[in-house]
Amino acid sequence: MGERSDRDLVRRARRGDRDAAAALFRRYWQSAWRTAFAVTGRRAVADDVAADAFERAFAALDRFDERRPFAPWLQRIVANRALDLLRAERRLSGDELAEPVDAGTDHRAGDKGLLAAVGELSLERRVVVLLRYGVGMTPKEIAAALDLPVGTVNSRLARSLEQLREYFEAQGVERD
Amino acid sequence: MSSETESKLSELFAHLPQPDSEVTERALARALAALPTPARRSDRSARALAFLLAAAVALLAAAAGALAAVGALHVSFGQAKHQSQRSQTATQAQLTVPAGAHGIAATVSGRLWLTTGNGLRLQGLPVSAAALSPHALYVAVGIGHSLVAMAPDGRRAWSYPTPGRVASIAWAPDGLRIAYVVNVNGRFRLYAIEGNGRGNKLVDAAVRSTRPAWRADSLALAYIAAGGHPIVYDFGHASHTVISSPAARDATFLAFASRGGDLAVATPERVVLWRPAGRVTSTAVGRAAIAGLGWIGDDLAVAVNQTAPRPAQISLVQVFRVGHSGALTQIGQVAPLARIEALDTWGDRLTVAVAARIGARVLSAATVAGVTTALLRSQPLLQLPVGSRISSIAAR
Repeated sequence: MGERSDRDLVRRARRGDRDAAAALFRRYWQSAWRTAFAVTGRRAVADDVAADAFERAFAALDRFDERRPFAPWLQRIVANRALDLLRAERRLSGDELAEPVDAGTDHRAGDKGLLAAVGELSLERRVVVLLRYGVGMTPKEIAAALDLPVGTVNSRLARSLEQLREYFEAQGVERD
Repeated sequence: MSSETESKLSELFAHLPQPDSEVTERALARALAALPTPARRSDRSARALAFLLAAAVALLAAAAGALAAVGALHVSFGQAKHQSQRSQTATQAQLTVPAGAHGIAATVSGRLWLTTGNGLRLQGLPVSAAALSPHALYVAVGIGHSLVAMAPDGRRAWSYPTPGRVASIAWAPDGLRIAYVVNVNGRFRLYAIEGNGRGNKLVDAAVRSTRPAWRADSLALAYIAAGGHPIVYDFGHASHTVISSPAARDATFLAFASRGGDLAVATPERVVLWRPAGRVTSTAVGRAAIAGLGWIGDDLAVAVNQTAPRPAQISLVQVFRVGHSGALTQIGQVAPLARIEALDTWGDRLTVAVAARIGARVLSAATVAGVTTALLRSQPLLQLPVGSRISSIAAR
């Protein structure tokens, strides 16, 4: 039997078909979680943000326009929830409490430097970089998830790369 | 150079971690529980079943109508909608005791929900306030103009008349005394009564309605005076100590430490730590309103709801470690991702009541000892109707 389309699964889930809802969940859970992780940089936060996003998405299925694609809608909920959380943390505590990015593996010294450089990016730029190079989204997909014009996403990516390039150049000068 | 940077980034993030399978299954259960209630079943057998049910209901309605006509049966067709709502929230239709507790009580929209570990329940009893005894053996509640102690099966142990409605209650950790605040024509009085309903004593005739806090040795009580300053009343010496520090003015919540005599005082935007020697330290929580505080072991948990730029978009439980000097250092935070309405702690555990967007929920965290920056591992304890107001929660 062929794989059901998102639209079919959404339609069935709306009618209370738990198997269809579970299939939808399993299809997008991992990417939703990775998005949450990419934005927040913390496993525990990603766990709850992604779960919360799915909970909200499923609760709102009645209002979802099934002619539109499900994945960008879900990713937008995930990204907004994660960003809300980070912004609130900054407001409440004055700065970000956790290391902004932890790719979860041992890194060479150069990688650690790169991680630190990514951590120096502003939240808006960092999120775009992580969604692009960590989650593998296209600029168009990022634009849909963050509710931004594609041009803004491209511009943030370009400026981020420029900032990182300057970082590498500075590192090179220091090494010399 | 940019493409080189891009390839470095791609390589760096090629191995982003994956979600745990346990987390995945829990998230799936949460998501499925949030699905809309099915409006109709589409398969043929369901339609046939529905047709048979409709026919049966019609027959029953006709029979019930006939009985009602002769006064033999009360018929209410309004129950159907109610039943549907109940089935939607069946997963937590009854209050669940969180892991490690003997019992739990919550006051929701003026009604008591209580469940103990041995399966006893009280649900929907109209009360003005409630507090559990140690080990959840009894519950003290305000009913009308009385303070009533009852067993979790509803059996009344004693009742004591009060000069007004009971606004808040706190049962001492040793179980021997109960402190309670009574609303007498808009002014609040604090009383203490022995656990057997005898020896009632007026402690202060001008206090705020906030629940008093007992010291761990049960020999002292902290409460908020009508003017907003915290006061510690020592039962051994029958003495009142006023915490007059400007930082503690306008106190909103109080909590004695699990050991010793340190008292945490919440004001609208600060946490103040008072030590018996009189030293006071305070810490701001930013643009947020404190919704409750309590101790998790030796650490202090403070529930905050963001107030700016939009009210209560994000809520957090911030966890502070207390230094030798009394300075508070934030060591972590948990985020239930919904507005926090009440918080309670016992031992090294934390119970948080939140009203989520989807509906009001009482949530419980697993053990949070050694918490760093971690999210609240929430265990749904009770699903409540949207709009219900949680005024207190306590697990023992």
